[in-house]
Amino acid sequence: MSPILGITSSQLIGRLTSYDSIATQTVTGTGVTSVSFTSIPQTYTHLQIRASVRSNSVAAYDAFYIYNLNGAGVSSEMANHYIYGTGAAVGVNSYTAQFSSQMGFVPAANTLANNFGAGIVDILDYTNTNKNKVMRGLVGYDDNGNTSGSPFITFSSAYSVQLGTSAVTNLTFIINNSFAIGTKFALYGVK
Amino acid sequence: MPNTYRLISTNTLNSAASSVTFSNIPQFYTDLKVVMSARSSNASNFDNPRISINNSTSTFTRREIYAESGSAGSESVADRIIGNCPAANLTANTFGSLEFYLPNYTSSNYKFWSCDSVTGSNSATYSLWLLAGLWSTTTAVSTIAFSLQTGANFVQHSTFTLYGISNA
Amino acid sequence: MPSTYEPIVTNTLTTTANSVTLSSIPSTYTDLVVVVATTTGGDINFRINGDTGANYSQTVIYGYSSFGSTKSTNATYNWLNYGSNSGNLLAILQLNNYSSTTANKTSIVRDAANGATSDVMAGLWRSTAAITSLTFTPPSTFAVGSTFTIYGIKAA
Repeated sequence: MSPILGITSSQLIGRLTSYDSIATQTVTGTGVTSVSFTSIPQTYTHLQIRASVRSNSVAAYDAFYIYNLNGAGVSSEMANHYIYGTGAAVGVNSYTAQFSSQMGFVPAANTLANNFGAGIVDILDYTNTNKNKVMRGLVGYDDNGNTSGSPFITFSSAYSVQLGTSAVTNLTFIINNSFAIGTKFALYGVK
Repeated sequence: MPNTYRLISTNTLNSAASSVTFSNIPQFYTDLKVVMSARSSNASNFDNPRISINNSTSTFTRREIYAESGSAGSESVADRIIGNCPAANLTANTFGSLEFYLPNYTSSNYKFWSCDSVTGSNSATYSLWLLAGLWSTTTAVSTIAFSLQTGANFVQHSTFTLYGISNA
Repeated sequence: MPSTYEPIVTNTLTTTANSVTLSSIPSTYTDLVVVVATTTGGDINFRINGDTGANYSQTVIYGYSSFGSTKSTNATYNWLNYGSNSGNLLAILQLNNYSSTTANKTSIVRDAANGATSDVMAGLWRSTAAITSLTFTPPSTFAVGSTFTIYGIKAA
């Protein structure tokens, strides 16, 4: 494939694999309110986070958030938008000037025992210093009709104004209460 | 062990371009995935990337679930749009996030795909799409090209990455 | 170094089939990604570990000739697609933490059919057993050429 003027084109047919595991965080104790990935290697092109999440919040469900990219100071410059379905209704929500970006909803203490939500979040071009960072997420769980107004399947985007065009070096996920034991976040790099 | 998920080619725009093409796609993978981080030069909030396959622009159709700036719904159109991206009137330096998955691209069946896309935004102006697409042609896919529905350019720094995925 | 993202098994139909089972799934991965591509139309469902009991439920956002959200409870299977499937179906099934023996099994399905139907679903199998098999069943038979692939993703 020949390069075309104005386009940088690279072929890496010889590369053995493009999808690598970077790190995994598993909650093994109580009182864990955030999960962070720090010093993220800058050698990939895209990131994917795959998660299995439950909250200890005394409620049927809880929201989990991407917060404070790169560990920068507290700010109110994150935004997110999502479409959600509960089985009874479909709707949209939009938040700007927030402390964190909500990626979706997960089961909490007052729903079925042993239930965890699943999430897949993608960040394209995370090292690119010409681009603001946009996160795309698919997050959901089901509770067999356990609670009215729940469960949730959510497709979302998240955005950090504060981070600007800086490369992503740290990621933190938070929840309104604490993460349940067994919650797992796995970070993958994609070339 | 076979290597399943392989980068085939990346196109990063050093200057604006009206289209991006992946040609001579190897025929030894099972599925194709394209991720796109793109922005349009069109004087609007959004634009829509569209696809041509093997230089064909006909016999396409799509259905998407959309959420845009406070409303949601579903629509079906006989065209080759695959998703959304930010355009010139949306927050500067913001590019979309799009993932396109095309299974069995060398088969002798019709070609169909899913495509999920979002525009980043720090305002109440945004777009999220979950799309199903179809190309009613049985030819194996050897060339894929992307352009914008408005005819505008993809701006500098837009990126397009093609992966091959092999099954067992 | 072992690959992080590996195909575990593929079944490509050379004859029609009333159902397709992918079994002996090893517990050595972290997550599973299952890709089903078929020209078969109609409602296709899936079951886990051969369980035919009323242990499934699902929440859907659907878009076909109508748009909305619905759910199933105490069902005997989960949907692989919702709405009108006139064939040319791609379904990608995500099963995070599939080998856990302490958590119920949550699935996320993203399906796209014939350029006419687009859905996303969160499902539950109320069992803490590790997933060792998946069975897919169409209304009648799967067409020749239908493909079913399980990929394993191994976290660090």
